[in-house]
Amino acid sequence: MVNTDGQLYTIEGIAAGLIMLMTAYIVVNSTSVYTLGDTHISDMQLEVLGNDALNLMNTAPNSTTGKSPLQTIVETDDAETFRSMFLTMVNNRAGSDRDHIQFVANVTYVDTGGSVSSTVLSDSLRPFVSGEHAVRVSDWVIVEKRFPDDSSGKHAVLVEVLLWRD
Amino acid sequence: MAGLKDDAQWIVLMGFVVSFSLFFIAIVLNQSTVIGQTTAEAVLEFPKNDIRGVRDVIIQSEFLKVNNIRDVNNISNVQNDIRTLSLSRQNSVVNISSTQPTISNPYTTVDIHYNNGVMIYNEIWRSK
Repeated sequence: MVNTDGQLYTIEGIAAGLIMLMTAYIVVNSTSVYTLGDTHISDMQLEVLGNDALNLMNTAPNSTTGKSPLQTIVETDDAETFRSMFLTMVNNRAGSDRDHIQFVANVTYVDTGGSVSSTVLSDSLRPFVSGEHAVRVSDWVIVEKRFPDDSSGKHAVLVEVLLWRD
Repeated sequence: MAGLKDDAQWIVLMGFVVSFSLFFIAIVLNQSTVIGQTTAEAVLEFPKNDIRGVRDVIIQSEFLKVNNIRDVNNISNVQNDIRTLSLSRQNSVVNISSTQPTISNPYTTVDIHYNNGVMIYNEIWRSK
């Protein structure tokens, strides 16, 4: 015959065991401190935003076959227009306050010797000191210009933008 | 339950319930910081915009014209640039080939192959 003494002690023992197990689980888990920045969610949002802005700039007005604003900017090396256009788009928010996204834009091209180089197209007047948590977005443009000199012929260049929230 | 006072069992039981629910809440709180991480990483890792961009520019490049005739020189220049730049800046091998419209087949067909070692994208694009 099983003795029914001490049933509550048994239950208590099991419960205490479970609680200790779970405590151990939580303690082991908490050795790596995981902050929101590690989850790349804001990176993803920034990248999507930057790609959208670049795509928008690389679309000709009214879907005509004319040049897109980005094409014109790259061909004329117009840092000021790129800056104002890009910042207007990425820093736009509902309401009157603005976001604080900064950027550096480069044009990467294949030069006459066939090697790849980059030149700065524009930036947001804020130096990139490599401490920023930047993401990179890029878009292709076909320009009637050969970088770095101006000889004719059409060439594909890659506009690469590093952007970060300040 | 002989030898054991069985008063206040409800209080003891409630004590267990409360302590267990506290632990579950702690676990939920612990997990909440990583919500969306997998999704965000998957979105970042998949080269959607690279593929879109390279596809766009390849199709555009196929229709470069000079005096309404296919601009063969510039097309090969531009497509060589695309190959070189994708390889060096986007870590991807891009291969392009196209067939021009004939009388029996009045469409331009562009064969696009993209491979960055993780993702492979192949498309046979045909003008409508």
